[in-house]
Amino acid sequence: MSQNSEEKRQVKTLERERLDLGRLVKVGEAGLRIVGDSVRRTDDVLKATGKLKYAADYPQEGFLHGKILRSPYPHALIRSIDVSKARELPGVVCALTGGDVPGRNGFGAILPDQPVICQDKVRYIGDGVALVAAESERIAQKALELIRVEYEELPAVFDPRDALAEGAPKIHETGNQISLDKLRKGDVEAGFAQADVILERTYQVPFLEHAYMEPDCCWAIPQPDGTMMVEGPMQAPFAVRRNVAPVLGVPINMVRARQIHMGGGFGGKEDSPIDLCCRAAVLAKHTGRPVRISLEREEVTLQTCKRHPMIMELKVGVTKDGKLTAFKSTVYDEQGAYASLGPKIPPAGGSHVHAMVMSPGPYEIENCWVDAYLCYTNHPYGGAMRGFGAPQVHIAHEQMMDELAAELGMDPVDIRRKNAFKLGSKTATSQVLDQSVGLRETLDACEERFGWSQRSDSAGWVDAAKTKRRGVGVAMGWYRTSIGTGGDACGANVHVHEDGSVILYSGITEMGQGAFTVLPQICAEALGVELEDVRLVKPDTDLVPESGPTVGSRSTTLMGNAIILACRQVRESLDQKAAEMLGVEPERLVFCGRKVFDRDNPDGKALEFRQVAAAAMASGMRLIGQGWWAPPKASLDPETGQGSPYFVYTYSTHMAEVEVDVQTGEVTVTDYVAAFDVGKAINPKALEGQIEGGVAMGLGYALMEKVVLENGMPQNMSLQNYLIPTMLDMPDLKPLVLEQTNQHGPYGAKGIGEMPNIPATPAVINAVANACGGRVRSLPANPEAVFWAIRELGGPPQD
Amino acid sequence: MAQPFNKLHWSRFVEYDQYLVPDSLDQALAMLAEFNGSARVIAGGTDVVPELRGRRAKVAALVDISRLPDMDGIEQEGGFIRLGPLATHARVAASQLIRDKAAPLAEGCSWVGSPQIRNVATVGGNLVSGQPAADASVPLFALDAEVTIAGPQGERRTPLSDFFLDVGKTAIDPSREIMTGISFPALGENQGGCYQRLAQRKALVLPMLACATLVKVDPQNKTFAGVALSLGPVAPTPMRERVAEQMLLGQPIGKEIIAKAAESASSQCSPRDSLLRGSCDYRQAMVRVFVERGLTRSLALAGHALS
Amino acid sequence: MKSVELSCKVNGRPVSLPVEPDTMLVDFLRGHLGLTGTKTGCREGECGTCTVLLDGMPVNSCILPALKAAGREITTIEGLARPDGSLDDIQEAFMDAGAIQCGYCSPGMMLTAKSLLEKNPNPSEDEIKHALSGVLCRCTGYRKIVQAVRDASCRK
Repeated sequence: MSQNSEEKRQVKTLERERLDLGRLVKVGEAGLRIVGDSVRRTDDVLKATGKLKYAADYPQEGFLHGKILRSPYPHALIRSIDVSKARELPGVVCALTGGDVPGRNGFGAILPDQPVICQDKVRYIGDGVALVAAESERIAQKALELIRVEYEELPAVFDPRDALAEGAPKIHETGNQISLDKLRKGDVEAGFAQADVILERTYQVPFLEHAYMEPDCCWAIPQPDGTMMVEGPMQAPFAVRRNVAPVLGVPINMVRARQIHMGGGFGGKEDSPIDLCCRAAVLAKHTGRPVRISLEREEVTLQTCKRHPMIMELKVGVTKDGKLTAFKSTVYDEQGAYASLGPKIPPAGGSHVHAMVMSPGPYEIENCWVDAYLCYTNHPYGGAMRGFGAPQVHIAHEQMMDELAAELGMDPVDIRRKNAFKLGSKTATSQVLDQSVGLRETLDACEERFGWSQRSDSAGWVDAAKTKRRGVGVAMGWYRTSIGTGGDACGANVHVHEDGSVILYSGITEMGQGAFTVLPQICAEALGVELEDVRLVKPDTDLVPESGPTVGSRSTTLMGNAIILACRQVRESLDQKAAEMLGVEPERLVFCGRKVFDRDNPDGKALEFRQVAAAAMASGMRLIGQGWWAPPKASLDPETGQGSPYFVYTYSTHMAEVEVDVQTGEVTVTDYVAAFDVGKAINPKALEGQIEGGVAMGLGYALMEKVVLENGMPQNMSLQNYLIPTMLDMPDLKPLVLEQTNQHGPYGAKGIGEMPNIPATPAVINAVANACGGRVRSLPANPEAVFWAIRELGGPPQD
Repeated sequence: MAQPFNKLHWSRFVEYDQYLVPDSLDQALAMLAEFNGSARVIAGGTDVVPELRGRRAKVAALVDISRLPDMDGIEQEGGFIRLGPLATHARVAASQLIRDKAAPLAEGCSWVGSPQIRNVATVGGNLVSGQPAADASVPLFALDAEVTIAGPQGERRTPLSDFFLDVGKTAIDPSREIMTGISFPALGENQGGCYQRLAQRKALVLPMLACATLVKVDPQNKTFAGVALSLGPVAPTPMRERVAEQMLLGQPIGKEIIAKAAESASSQCSPRDSLLRGSCDYRQAMVRVFVERGLTRSLALAGHALS
Repeated sequence: MKSVELSCKVNGRPVSLPVEPDTMLVDFLRGHLGLTGTKTGCREGECGTCTVLLDGMPVNSCILPALKAAGREITTIEGLARPDGSLDDIQEAFMDAGAIQCGYCSPGMMLTAKSLLEKNPNPSEDEIKHALSGVLCRCTGYRKIVQAVRDASCRK
């Protein structure tokens, strides 16, 4: 934090490509009142007083407790399984094996390849082989111990390259390679021929744990009418419902999924509630009683998805003045045991395709070539985690940019400025960036605020004893808004009542990011009422329209637009009624702060919003709006990876200063500036919160985080050994928010949730390399890794 | 190889049958005797309780000695510091006496767990847990501390050099005995000491390496009149670097001899390769760095900074 | 297992209830008293989410046997507001600063901050960071939490 605590957020409004935001947004003469204001969060008071109920806080009377017997082998055939002893234990209501699943014995966010209960084989340590429901947690645990399973161990595979080798043990019937995705732009060999310098480097990143503070807990409650209700902290109630229904063998309309407030998600709770709700629902179906499954911290690490590890082999060519001419990369993306959110959802959904698309970075490069393999191994599985494939490839290309700069004797900022996207640039998929491209502006803002040139000049020894060196690092990034699938869309319902109060129905979930504040802000602004007039109905698949998952940094933009469209439907009635009442043309009406008045006569007669609403209702006019918004159609050629996979991107530049103890390898991040082009900050303080938390997560990725696996078994399942940054690990951080209007976004907004952690990791790694000379190409850059990187050089620089 | 059941299936329950809170030492010992080895003493409980979660360890009863009187003092008696084993890390770290007369211990205590842990966990418990990386044990070992142990056969005194036996195992049997005192010589003139630690983040983390260093300088001859080096976790127990200490003793103070001692310390220890806490090679290299830095800093604190 | 009577003060009120001896304080608070504002994140004293104040001192209630609280005073998040129901400066400051995201660590953070400000009404940034370093947060990056504590110290 800076010395000057009063320092305000720096908002710089850049040129707006289009002031009129078209059919979507009608900005009144009075301007924006609620959008753009850092209002307190709608759920703040409940959280500050401990009254907000998380899943574990709900009463458990009448519930059975479900537990999962987990495989002790990473890869094995199930020869036999005997649950009879468990069934005999008093208090046990049922003990189920694979044959007991009423419908499809498989779930998955994309492919249903993960058994609800493994029947023939297990594919990772932690795979579920039996389910038990009992009257208490203790009895359920005891019952697990009584289940006898005979396994026949199979050879296991723990490296994606081994998994692809001929004769590798087959993990799934379909083979170990899930896909080889290709990106082809220009002629990469011709590009290398134009290059003065070509570098080849391999970068590697490990499995990461989300480490949301709230361990998972879900339950299923059979309803009298045969519906199954599942509840829990979940990012994607519709995806949960879509899985529970076939697992139970019932139509989708017989499953109801409701979100309980999440204690953090970060992508992890897109996937884990599918697992827990399917299993709880099967137990509930068998017993006819409510069944609850909660995981301990260690079990969360064992059982649920992680960030995908990747091995990335890059070859990049550059001219001597720093212009990139060719980018070639082979990516081995390790999916682990099950498909989760890795595989493609056409045209460009799934983390793997996203990683491929982002691989060459936010740079203009004529010639690009990427081969991206996604394959199964017998490790835990990779799912969604903040950035969804993008952080991994940024760690590669942003290090490569610095390595190229060093080779050319160029400043890392200059080589980036030379190649960075600008309005009109063509991406690696040949998408023309025709609006809202503030990447270079973030670089300028960051450079100025950080004082890049002075600081990079003063890098070097910190102390007279020559034990510590200071260095600076920069990294840039981009991230999509939306998920690039054919079905990416959001629906919202808005009901206005005769007293002027409003109910907003939205399926977007709250995990701490602020959706339950930002979405009502948009609604209140669009209707011209106050924030407290809008009550949000929490995600419940029986009540709210389909909205897709709360992922992909899509919520504010997609749902925001759906809300505005729903509000516009209501406003048609209100406009008509108010026009009558005021005797002016509807176009001249302004709805603002619960008042309705004539734009051309703001001091004249004003109506109360509730008066207009009451009058409209009394006239039988429609005060119910439903908005549905889908982004412009996504495209990506399956053979060449060319097209426009995502409709808009957020851009960012980060700069970090570190001190490295060159004798021990310890790193301290001492200063940090991060600049973002966010389109429009709907709630600037909440947005800053996303930035600050994201940077912390990226810093953890750089310096300490890794799920350590030995023969498929996680060695650091608890928070004692899986290290995330503490308060003392965080530097002074200055977020800079720039707004380059997204013409497709509500009030110009685009996504922010995932962008912040993406450049953070390489910015820190680049700073470490700048400080001590040593570059850690296989993360994390923990003290030992930095120590050996310095050793490899023969010691730190002496200047 | 199959993973054991209790590594794959966890529970929130901490399990034991009885929780006993004695008022006096005699009563506590009698309670332990009654359970004949199946009870366990706890003070703060921050090490023992997590071990009992999900029945990874089993005890019939916990005997909570944290309310025993007169066992948490921090005071000087002559040339000695007398430390009640029930003194919490928070109090020891904040004690002006300890900061002045046993600085490495104050520093070590300030690193244990988190503020929450330090408010509850005791220095006695840190010793009894017998962990090679224990942040209070490593400096106490360098301070030549001696502990008093009360048991069925009465009281005995054991120097820490005879105390640590193996990982999690010490000369005290926590199912039958209770530590009643810790004492060590206070640092005086021409003495200095410090504590260093290497970890993967800046708080709430076990060390990859911890090192306590003490020196006593002969001001006339500018020689090492006393040296103590203790390290952890480089062996199953906290470890004193006796060879390196001997190398320095009586020698004129200088950079070269310090470097030689550091080299010796490094070669004497053989930490295991740990996936979570670093390789043997790395930690050996770090021993060299820490011993060199620790001696240099301790000399400066003793008022004899290297030129 | 035989239950034992536990008498203590919780949020200013005397409480006396039978508990099984292996009950941890967090389960006593959440289960027996229904004070679910105290959360658990790791059950081994590593995340600080379960922090409550024991005689004004932050402790991890997940690894503290409930019987250790006998005769002592416990403050949970439900007891942080003033007796008249108005919120404590710390709660107000956390909300104003945007220091609460998912909210799961917030009770532990705020109680730890309360204890710090009781002892040290004007802490430096470094003192704040050290005092609160025992509570992990995955959402905020901590910056706004530090700001909130500093802001609360100015409101006194």
